[in-house]
Order: sequence, then structure tokens, then C-alpha cells
Amino acid sequence: MSRPPTEDELVERARRGDGAAFGALVRMEEEIAFRTAYLITRNAADAEDAAQAAFVKAFYALPRFRRGAPLRPWLLAIVANEARNKRRGGGRREALVQRAAQELPSGDAAPSPEGRLLAEEQRAELLVALESLGEDDRLVLSCRYLLELSEGETAEVLSLRRGTVKSRTSRALERLRGHLREER
Amino acid sequence: MSELELRLIALREEIDFPPTPALSVAVERAVALAPARRRRLRPLALVLAVVLVAALGVLALSPGARSAFLELFHLRGATVSRVEELPEVELIERAELLGVPVTLAAARRRAGFELADLGEPDEVYLRGDGLVTFVYGSIERPRLLLSQVRGMVWDGFVKKVGARGTSVEEVEIEGERGLFVSGDPHFVMYLDSMFRIQEERAYLAGTTLLWNRGDVLFRLEADVELAEALELARAVK
Repeated sequence: MSRPPTEDELVERARRGDGAAFGALVRMEEEIAFRTAYLITRNAADAEDAAQAAFVKAFYALPRFRRGAPLRPWLLAIVANEARNKRRGGGRREALVQRAAQELPSGDAAPSPEGRLLAEEQRAELLVALESLGEDDRLVLSCRYLLELSEGETAEVLSLRRGTVKSRTSRALERLRGHLREER
Repeated sequence: MSELELRLIALREEIDFPPTPALSVAVERAVALAPARRRRLRPLALVLAVVLVAALGVLALSPGARSAFLELFHLRGATVSRVEELPEVELIERAELLGVPVTLAAARRRAGFELADLGEPDEVYLRGDGLVTFVYGSIERPRLLLSQVRGMVWDGFVKKVGARGTSVEEVEIEGERGLFVSGDPHFVMYLDSMFRIQEERAYLAGTTLLWNRGDVLFRLEADVELAEALELARAVK
């Protein structure tokens, strides 16, 4: 049985114009690309347009992609750029919302209804506090924690220096703590 | 990692992101329709050397020879004079369909991609769908229209209106496919940046050259033959 192609092999094939190989790469990255675009545009239709346009652009730009470098941050930087351009166009902004509470099976390990309610309240409070931050703070925290990008990846996506990501994250966390204290 | 950071990571699972659309389907379709990339490796040093020799050599030439020399190398000023010498062409479509007049700076700011030109245009129009049109001459008495939009040539949809007398030729410009449409007034159809089919009427009673440079679709309308249209297209920088 043949092994599935690695990311590097797919990139190499896509670089030579293989659309199916590029499609496989898109499938690997489409969720994080769409979410990155959504966190910037805050509009699902704009995010879809931005992510799609970014992938097509990336296909054309593949000859300039450095061989052996990680693909994801490079792709997400293009996505973020397209999303910023889309955002400038205006349009309705959507707020981040929490998933509807799900029924958990009862049992010893399951939290009590009161415990679940408290946890939900705390998450809602955190989301409100996150949303009340300025855009720079909100984006850096979204990249680091909601998209789970590393400092280096965040730097590439937001076109910042790594040191700036570090200091901005630290200041944003501090401000987030402040907002949470105010809410209590 | 602090407690707050852990709470933020846990929040990730709780956010109700809109469902991720199947982007790969549209992207694969788009890259399959796109003209095959052909790499033309031009040694940079050679290009630089030619430009340098051209720039130095031109200083020593007589004014007439200098003009011809500049034309040969499509240097900016020469291209503009060349466009100015083109005949005026009848406008056969309402100018409002090109959008609203804007300054060149505003068009550059709002286009969302780097605009190329044939020298500074006399008038600039911007349309809601992102189409930017440079008018050389004036909109009442145009000599050349150069339009740019994110999109792709889709030759399958070149539609002939009053089919007789309209011809469509496939051409190659800088390694990418293009179409040269001449004859009766015609429609052209292309894929916009979202891969939707768009229909556009020719604005001038001349010829139309459509071509791609990356993901930008160019349309050049003027009263020129194929060879001259290709030369102008290559001078678009």
C-alpha cells in the first residue's frame, strides 16, 4: 500500500501546476484559513471570499514559496492580507458567539447542573471581555489561543516581529484581566 | 501557562464559528481553468544590462532616434506618446457602466491589487465590482481603454453578437493565454475573483485584447491590429 504524499511532496506537485495536489493542501488548511479570515472580517461571506481568493493567489505565488518552509504560516499570511482588504470594504460585523449548551451524560464525572451553569457563565464572561478589547489585542490573542498559532506563526500572519507578538500578547492578557475584574 | 491562557484555549472549543465552506472545490476548479503556468527564466543580470545600456545609449542619440529607441524599449514616456498617437475610437456603450470617475491615487488605494498602466491615464473610472478603467484620451473621445479586475480569461464564453465578422484569436502574452477579439460589437465573458461568470460588453468600436497576469484580468480596447495590441499589452507595467 502506498503512503499518502507528504506536505512537501504536495507543494512540489502543486508548484508544477498540479491542481489536485493543491486541492489536497487546501483541504488540509481550509478550516484554519477560514477561521483566520473570519476572526479578521467578522463576516462569514467575506471570510469565505477572502480565504478562497487567498488560496488562488497562493497557487500563483507557489514558485516564490521557499522550499522546505512550513506552508501554514505562509498561507495564513496571504489569507490575513486578503481578509484585511475585505474588511476595509465595510459590511456587517458579526460578534463571536458561544456554542449552545450541550446535554452531557449524567454520571459521577459529569459536573452538576450548577457547575455547568457556572462554567458557562465564566466562558461567556471571558468572551465578552475578549470582544471588548481593541482590535490589535483581540487579534493577537485570537491567533495565539483561539487558532493555537505559535508566536512565530502569529508574527507571520499579523506581519509583526516576533518580539512585538510577545509583548503585545502580554499586554493584551493584562488588559483582558482588567476587563474581567471590571465585569465582576 | 497562566490560568487565563488556559481558559482562552478552552474557549476555542466553545466558540460557534460559522461552518467552514468547502473551499477546495472552488479553488481546484479555478486553478484548473487558469492558464498553465509557464516559467520563463530571464537572467536578471542580462535584463539589467540591457536596460542599463539602453539608458546610457539613449542619451547619445538625436531626438528622433531617441524617440524610436524609447519606443523600442517601451519606456514609460514613449508608451504614452504612442498611445496619444492612436486614432480616436467611437464609444458604443454608456460611460456610466465603467463606474464613477476617481483620481488615480484613489483607484490605486481602492483596487485591492497593484494597478499597471501605460503611463498616466487621462481619466480613471472605478466600478463597484472592482473594475478599474484607465482612459487615454477622454471618455468623449477615447483612444484607448485599459481595464483591470481580479478575474480570469474564459475563452469558452466568448460570445459573438451578430456572429458574422467577429473573430476571436488565441494569443500568448508573457507566457499566459489571452484572446484578441475583433470585428462586430461583441460580448466577452470572464470569471471574476469569486469564479462567477461575468458578462461585459465592449465599450469601443475597435478591437479588444483580454489577457491575464497572475490573477488580474486586463482588457485593452483600441482601434489597433493584433500585433500592435500585443505590443501595447507588453508595455503595460
